[in-house]
Amino acid sequence: MSTSIFFIKFVAKRIGAAIAIVIGLTAVLFFLQSISHTNPVHAMLGAGATPKAIAAEEVKLGLNHPVIVQYFNYLNGLLHGNLGMSYRTRRPVASDLATYLPATLELAFYSLILAIVLGLLLGVLSAGEFKGTKVLRFVLVAGASTPQFLLAIGGLLLFYGKLNLLPATGRIGINNPPNGPTGFYTIDGLLNGNIGVTIDAFKYLLLPSFSVAISPAVSIGRVLRGSLIEAMGQDFIKTANSKGLSRFRVLIVHALRNSLGPALSMTGLQAGLMFAGVVVIEDVFAWPGIGYYTAQSIPSGDFPAIAGVTLVLGIGYVIINTLVDLAQIFADPRLRHLEMRKSSAKKPLSNLTPNAI
Amino acid sequence: MSTLAPARTRVRPSFSISVDRHKVAISVLIAVTLIALLAPVLAPDNPLVPVDQPFLQPFTLAHLLGTDSVGRDVLSRVLLGVRSSWLSAIAVILFGVVIGGTVGMIAGVSSDRIDSLLMRITDGFLAFPGPVLAIAVVASLGASLFHTLIAVAIVWWPLYARIVRGEARAIMSRPHIEAARTFNVGGFRLAMRHVLPGVVPAIIVTASLDVGNLVITLSGLSFLGLGAPAPAPELGAMAARNLQYLLQQWWVCVMPALAIAIMAIISNFAGDALRDFGSRGQ
Repeated sequence: MSTSIFFIKFVAKRIGAAIAIVIGLTAVLFFLQSISHTNPVHAMLGAGATPKAIAAEEVKLGLNHPVIVQYFNYLNGLLHGNLGMSYRTRRPVASDLATYLPATLELAFYSLILAIVLGLLLGVLSAGEFKGTKVLRFVLVAGASTPQFLLAIGGLLLFYGKLNLLPATGRIGINNPPNGPTGFYTIDGLLNGNIGVTIDAFKYLLLPSFSVAISPAVSIGRVLRGSLIEAMGQDFIKTANSKGLSRFRVLIVHALRNSLGPALSMTGLQAGLMFAGVVVIEDVFAWPGIGYYTAQSIPSGDFPAIAGVTLVLGIGYVIINTLVDLAQIFADPRLRHLEMRKSSAKKPLSNLTPNAI
Repeated sequence: MSTLAPARTRVRPSFSISVDRHKVAISVLIAVTLIALLAPVLAPDNPLVPVDQPFLQPFTLAHLLGTDSVGRDVLSRVLLGVRSSWLSAIAVILFGVVIGGTVGMIAGVSSDRIDSLLMRITDGFLAFPGPVLAIAVVASLGASLFHTLIAVAIVWWPLYARIVRGEARAIMSRPHIEAARTFNVGGFRLAMRHVLPGVVPAIIVTASLDVGNLVITLSGLSFLGLGAPAPAPELGAMAARNLQYLLQQWWVCVMPALAIAIMAIISNFAGDALRDFGSRGQ
């Protein structure tokens, strides 16, 4: 099979799988909605509704149709951006999410960058057997064991309570922050020529993004450490060592490039956990994102809102993991050849062993 | 196994600790389990009712960890919270080991076709962002500890299916399986008597590392209000509900969060020690 055909097939397969997962997710959410303990009609009308009003509302919500029709109506609604009505805010969930999403995207974006940078640092330093590696290993294990909200409240106590260096809650301290074009205050401030907004936004970002980033950083660092140590045992490293290169140079230039694959897929996996972390951290810092929106929706049993958030985060997770998969195939020639061999070897193998074992 | 090839040989300082790390690990795990089981006896006060003035300082003889906003003993509440977290984590792991282990074992010893079918299903579960989905599941079923456990168990078992399947596949290629086959040993007996014993170590290591992950995940859900309702002593919920007192009465909020961290650290170190012990023989 030629390389370009292989690429097209591979990309198409991955995108197809991603779409299948998202459809599966919608089916799960629809099922959860239908077994939900809050009755949507009661939630919309309140307890004292007349039977006539209830029947009318059922027709309005499409609950008089068979389940399978309801599901396709739901899917059709999703395709047109209709995520249902929030029981709590009485607004369409989609427009609620549009309000809260930029804040979450900004927090998640900086957290991810921070997690990758810290993960690389931790991995390289702890694999390098420099001075203090043992301490670093301890930090890795302890960091992996700390619930994110403990980091958050520890940070709040120290930097807000004791030192009063950083703000505690919210996203920005300036009134009338610029709205648009990106929705990221840090970037909008620059675009609008107001550097004060950017600096203030970063101040507010610091504690939440660190709290979100530490635990994925530790996971990435651990995986990177493992694959670095494995790479360090290979022949090309021995060559580099015997050329008399410095330990640091061998590690960074020769070993690191060959060890990034597993760390990359760990980053994709961690994205899912990071989203859950974002929900908790936004709750602690009253960060006006969709996590905060979720936390507000939970006590009132606002299932459409929570389902909307789950769908958005789930799609984000699937996109990130698909991109990571594709990036790996494009970046690592060894993996590419492995996949190519696998896809061309599949048929004869299964013919050979129709019912092995 | 490949090892790090250092450019210079360095004399390592030898820590000659006479106790075996894996024995310490197992004893500590048992100790925490005992504390969890005996928490109602160990707790000095009733965790659900006020017993003293509100907001008494911690580290006093009367109330080791102080009292909370309505005068309940924080130590008693934390102990009961540890009980609920630790036992919940173990319950989810047991569910994961039984369901995931069964699926993984069947996949591991069956034909390629059944194997790939079962693993497709498992991967399908892994393709969802588990913790986020758990939030939706609990929100749908209604907040309670039992529902939270169900939700987390649903997203947790595939991990065990993958591990057991991988180990079982590796064992299936060993000579003793071939020997058993020659004697016409049936599939069930083959799985239980010839494959299972080889899979157990991997399960133990994974499970002991996993207690920490679960304690943290469950506490996150409880923090968001997806656990047992109000007066119940749950660590995540305690931290969340006392967040407003953080700057003045920090202990009410910090102590439960610290208890979670300590449980997770113990589980991680124990798991590491058991893994090192397990890989020594190979």
